[in-house]
Formats: sequence, C-alpha cells, structure tokens
Amino acid sequence: MTTTTAVSLRGVTKKYADVQAVAGVDLTIRAGEVVALLGPNGAGKSTTIEMLLGLVKPDQGTVQVYGGTPTDAIAQGQVGVMLQSGGIIEDAKVGELLNLVAGLHNDPMPVEEALERAGIADLTKRTMKGLSGGQKQRVRFAMAIIPQPDLIVLDEPTTGMDVESRRDFWASMHAETARGRTVLFATHYLEEADSYADRVVLMRNGKVVADGTAAQIKASVSGRTIRATIPGADLAALASLPGVRNVETRGDVVLLQCADSDSTLRHLLGNTKAHDIEVTSADLEDAVLAITDQNKADQNKAQETLA
Amino acid sequence: MNRDYLIFDIRRTLRNRRVLIFSILMPLVLFLIFGLTIPQDANEAGISAIAYVMVSMAMFGSMSAAMSSGGVIAAERDGGWNRTLRLTPLKPQAYVVNKVILSLLLAVPPLLVVFVTGMVFGHVHLSATQWLTVALVSWLGALPFAAIGLVIGYIAKPDSVQPITGLSTMLIAAFGGLWLPVDQMPSIMKHIAQVTPAYWTGQTSRSALTASGVDTHALLVVIGWTVVLGLIGLRRYRADTARA
Repeated sequence: MTTTTAVSLRGVTKKYADVQAVAGVDLTIRAGEVVALLGPNGAGKSTTIEMLLGLVKPDQGTVQVYGGTPTDAIAQGQVGVMLQSGGIIEDAKVGELLNLVAGLHNDPMPVEEALERAGIADLTKRTMKGLSGGQKQRVRFAMAIIPQPDLIVLDEPTTGMDVESRRDFWASMHAETARGRTVLFATHYLEEADSYADRVVLMRNGKVVADGTAAQIKASVSGRTIRATIPGADLAALASLPGVRNVETRGDVVLLQCADSDSTLRHLLGNTKAHDIEVTSADLEDAVLAITDQNKADQNKAQETLA
Repeated sequence: MNRDYLIFDIRRTLRNRRVLIFSILMPLVLFLIFGLTIPQDANEAGISAIAYVMVSMAMFGSMSAAMSSGGVIAAERDGGWNRTLRLTPLKPQAYVVNKVILSLLLAVPPLLVVFVTGMVFGHVHLSATQWLTVALVSWLGALPFAAIGLVIGYIAKPDSVQPITGLSTMLIAAFGGLWLPVDQMPSIMKHIAQVTPAYWTGQTSRSALTASGVDTHALLVVIGWTVVLGLIGLRRYRADTARA
C-alpha cells in the first residue's frame, strides 16, 4: 500500500447561524484506509463530509483531496459519493439513471458491472419511485462506484435498511475495500464502525474526540477485564498489581479491570493458580459513551470556570 | 453539452406525454379558433391574415414549450439531484447548455404542427425561403423563453412551477400580442407589448412574411432579451450551486 494522503483537513471550522457545526477538525486519511466517522446526530459528521466534498465552504482551515481541491478531485473522477438521501431522479428508470451517471464521468466502469456489484442487475427496468429504501441505497451505491473512484465517501449509507440489507450492503462494500479503495463512511451504528473500519474517528460537538482503531478506542477508555477462577486469591495483592484498577469477586471467580492486561495475565499465570481465564475488552459502545461523557464533563467544567 | 444527459432528458420527456401533448394542443386549438375562422382572402398590406395568425401561434407554441423546461429543472433541484451533479465532473455551464437545447427540442413539435395545419387546412402559401425563415426565427425565438424557463426553474418549487409557468406564459403571450394583434387593441396595449420579449419575437418572425424581410430592429431587441435573460439564468444557476 502506498502512503499517499487521500484526504487532509486542517483546522476546519463551519458555523451555521449561531451553531458551531464543526469547531476545528484536523484529519488525515491515507490511501487505502477504511475510516468510520462516528458520532451522535449533530456531532458535525455530515458538515465535515460536505466540506470534504467541496459542497460547503469551510469558514476557516484548508481541505485537500489527493493534494488538490475537492472540486478538482471530483472533476478527475477520483471521488465516488453516496449521500444519505435524495440525490436521485424519482421518475427515471434504474438503468437510465446509471447510464446517465456513467456518461457524466470520464472513465466509468461498464454500467452492467456496477449493477452486478451493487446486486441490482434485476432492477434495471424499474422506476426509482417504486423501489424500497434498501434498493434505492443500492442504486446510490452503484452510482458511487461507477466512476471507479480512488476514494469512496458514504454518509450514513445504511440508514433505513433492515438487518439483512445492511449485511448485504457491507458485503458489497467489503469487495470494494478489498480492491484497495480508500473509504470514509459516517455512521451512528457502532457495530458498523467496529466491524468494517480500520480506523474510527469519533466526533462530538464539532470536534474529533478520539481517533484510532476500534480496539485502541476501546482500550483507551476502560482497558480490559480479566475474569479468572482463582481459589483462595489474595485480593489485596491482586489489587496492588500495576495497572489494576479494580478487583471484584464472585465466589472463586475474580474480575480484574486492568489498564495493562498482558502484564497482569503474566502475573496470574506465573504466580497464582488461576485457571479458566478470559480476557474481554469493553465494547465500543462503552468506550464511546465514556469518551463523550468525559468530553461533556470537561466542557461543563470549562463553562463553570467561565461563569 | 453532455450527450448522455440530453438522451436521458429526451427519453424522460417522451415518457411524460401529458406535457408534450399539452404543448402542441394549446397553440393548435388557438390557431383553429383564431386562424382558420378568418376568410382565406383577408389580408393586410399584402400579408395573408391566416399566415399572420399562424406565425403568431407558432411563436406562442415555441415559446411556451421552451418555458416548460423550468419544470424539469425545479424537479431536479427539489430531489437534491443538483447536489449529485456537483459530485460529478459535469461542468455547470454544460448543464445550462443542455437545458437550453432541451427547450429548443421541445419547441419543435408545436411549431411543426401549427405550420403543417396552416399549410394543409389554412392554405397558407409561402415561398421556400419564407417558410425557412419563419420556421428558423420562430424556433430560435424560443431562446429568450428558454432562459425565462431556466430562471423559473431556479426560483419555483416543483408544486408551484406549473402554475407559475402557465400564468407567465399566458401573460407574456397575451400582452406581447401573440394571441391578438396589438394593432387591434387600444394604443396603451402597444406600449405594454413593447416591454415583453414576446412582442419582439413575434414581430421578427412575422416580418419574414413581408416583402422587406426580417425586421432587423426587432431581431436586435430579441438578441438583447436573450443575452439579458441568459445572464440572469446563469446568475440564478450560480447562486443555486454556491449554496449548500
């Protein structure tokens, strides 16, 4: 994989009326990365994406896509986009719409191939109006891959899909990332970020509050929990181990919350009779809640200081 | 211009038969009522009265068809399609050019129907050069109205675009003297007519019937209208695309 920078945002801000939608975002995405932009509604995900695509001009800061402006990257067909809703012509047939989109790009893939990859080859003659939400999303997905883009940007692609459509969608998407495409997707489904992204960028109140692999984000918050059966455990000794935050017992079963589970594990295996050991990480949801709560607490504190 | 987009728009328009039939029916019916009821030998300064009405109605048909492309634009804006377009390499100017070409294509069926009706049932006799000039001027005279359609398409919402287009078409046609010659109205009407582009397009195409040929003064006014309205259309387009 090359180390080309696909996307670079530097100190980007955007204010709408008196709402600071994006409050200073720095983000670099390298070619080949699959990045999830995660956050609650109103976190600034969509505005960030709109600025990244050149649909909205940032108040401050710079946006570069493949070293140039977003508009240049789009003019060269380097970016494929799947918007959250709208963006289609309701009285057009699926085949007509995709032929048109292909005709608007310089080096499109054959329409049949796009239909095939999006799993909608059987819908060609259908009018957009008559399609289900999930089917429309697949048409939008086909529209996003037709330009054979280096970067695919998806804004909440699975909103309104049922569980099965979502799984199918991500299977199609996976085939695209396997081709080495760079992907940025916004979502508020944690499990999507957890399962499909190499990297998770967590936003809240217009700022990036965490950035790393899903595993790193989980670990940064609560570390891991070791659960082991230790007959006659010396709880005080366990609690004094480096990195152990909390010790609980349920009969012979001991639960240790650790910042550094590896070293705790070494101690347990070397110095105690611990058996049936399980190591679990907090799930992403716990981590996200912890980070965003922490963020909120910091903000409240700042506000109190000001007041 | 983008060829695939034009093909797409044409297919979509052909499917929407109501609009197409209406654009032909209105000028045809008006021509049948106001044109074919005139005695064959009626003429003014050597111009057959039927031919005069035929050209006016053709111009009206061409004009209203050209303005109807505003509906297409309003619908595309409403669905967020223009946002999708901004995420493709299509140049903004190409979009505008495409819609103007679409307007010109929409203007062809009403022109043909009115001319053929005039020729066959109205027994209008013109020289080949006159037919050609009249047809060309009435057709290209649709250009300022294509620009008006563009402006309406950018201002109106899809549910208001039809009444707005319908009303402005009627007002421009009636006050511009396309339905009834302004000479037959009080003189104040002639002054009002002269501020509408329809008066000048009508004047230009009807002047092709006279011995002296196309009225260059009227033609220049039409070109002026086209430029001014075209610039307003382009400005609306820019304002629309600059917005999020």
